[in-house]
Amino acid sequence: MRVFVGQRAWLLQRASALALLLFLALGAALLLVGPPLTYERWHALATSLPGAVIIVLLFAALSLHGWIGARDIVLDYIHSMPARLSVLGIIAVILFAIVIRVALTMAAHLSLVT
Amino acid sequence: MRSPTGGAPKFLNLFHIRFPIGAMASIGHRISGVLLLIGLPLLALTLERSLSSEVAFESLWPAVASPWWGLLLVILVWAAAQHVLAGVRHLLMDIGIGSPLAQARTSAWAVILTAAIIALATAIRWLA
Amino acid sequence: MHIRIYRYDPETGAQPHMQDYTIELESGDKKLLDVLMRLKNIDDSLSFRRSCREGVCGSDAMNINGRNGLACITALSTLKEPVVLRPLPGFPVIRDLVVDMTQFFAHYHEIKPYLINDDVPPERERLQTPEQRERLNGLYECILCACCSAFCPSYWWNPDKFIGPAGLLQAYRFIVDSRDTATAERLAYLDDVYRLYRCRTIMNCTEVCPKGLSPSHAIEGIRLELVRASS
Repeated sequence: MRVFVGQRAWLLQRASALALLLFLALGAALLLVGPPLTYERWHALATSLPGAVIIVLLFAALSLHGWIGARDIVLDYIHSMPARLSVLGIIAVILFAIVIRVALTMAAHLSLVT
Repeated sequence: MRSPTGGAPKFLNLFHIRFPIGAMASIGHRISGVLLLIGLPLLALTLERSLSSEVAFESLWPAVASPWWGLLLVILVWAAAQHVLAGVRHLLMDIGIGSPLAQARTSAWAVILTAAIIALATAIRWLA
Repeated sequence: MHIRIYRYDPETGAQPHMQDYTIELESGDKKLLDVLMRLKNIDDSLSFRRSCREGVCGSDAMNINGRNGLACITALSTLKEPVVLRPLPGFPVIRDLVVDMTQFFAHYHEIKPYLINDDVPPERERLQTPEQRERLNGLYECILCACCSAFCPSYWWNPDKFIGPAGLLQAYRFIVDSRDTATAERLAYLDDVYRLYRCRTIMNCTEVCPKGLSPSHAIEGIRLELVRASS
């Protein structure tokens, strides 16, 4: 599929929104269905391979969605190029760091289990 | 080409503009999005803490009982509700569902009121 | 009737200010423009554009009590006093309620608001089925008054790069026209973070259109056409 350049952010924003809605439904099911969410149950679910993958994907989707939204806000309100690039740069670094940190945390928990 | 009105004034005082409800829902979507983005590092830290040990996991809920964390929780719950509801509204309108003006006005009201009710319910539950 | 009007005189260079007018309504005064014309007789320094005085030419768009509209079709009976009149928001003010529309019309021209079809013309005319013609309804009626674009926050922040609701409505009018053969080029031109995708579906445009058109619906259509074209 060919995605136009201008359209890409708009499509990714919607795709990540749909993914986040799915994760939200999963989270709600986790809290509402089954036994109460004790530490044991939460830990077992979150550090299983599918659980860890879902958590990393969740943060990746949150960061991607947040990045597109933040970029839209910056394009609207910040017109000086140096200021624009600085703000975008800072946001990108923070979001990237969050995803990496969550990925490393989940990887560490996975290796502890196995 | 330089416009003949290069140094001309512009009227753009937002306090003198009467915004329709759709604009309110839109700015609410934007503000809640920024709040959630600020809350994202917090969510990552909460995740780490919830997995680190049983004591840390159990200490999460009492921490919320302190007034400041409680207030933050209510704000983030409002932001999440507002952003998700407004987001679903936009996703539907993208494919033509509810995009005629009358329906869009109704759904904008519904989003704003529902998010406010959810935040209020969270606040009441937190106080109780 | 108590009316407050935004005044700006480029020759004095003074800051814009609000001027209060009080005028007795007469039996013939039905629309806001009726009162404005009589005010102009009393104070001939007051400047505003008007032409057809019946909502067809689109000259007298202004911000009326915080919302954009045409003075000529705004009934006096619907207005709360004081009636506050300001120029179209975000547009450079030339004098009083008269704004510079240069950029607005540049965006209109930019979307090539004419049929493009290099096929050999038929002997009489390019025919359309009633269904094909139906698709132009709600699009061709635009009078380019700029009420919509001047009420669009995305246009306020990026008036130089975002085409704005009026221009995009016209773009869609030619995209869906069965006689136009430049659809792909038109879509490729609009596919831009600024030109089309500054729109956040706030729908302020549709709220204020004096002709009851829906630029937001046209933009929705363009975005879906782009999805179709890319998949």
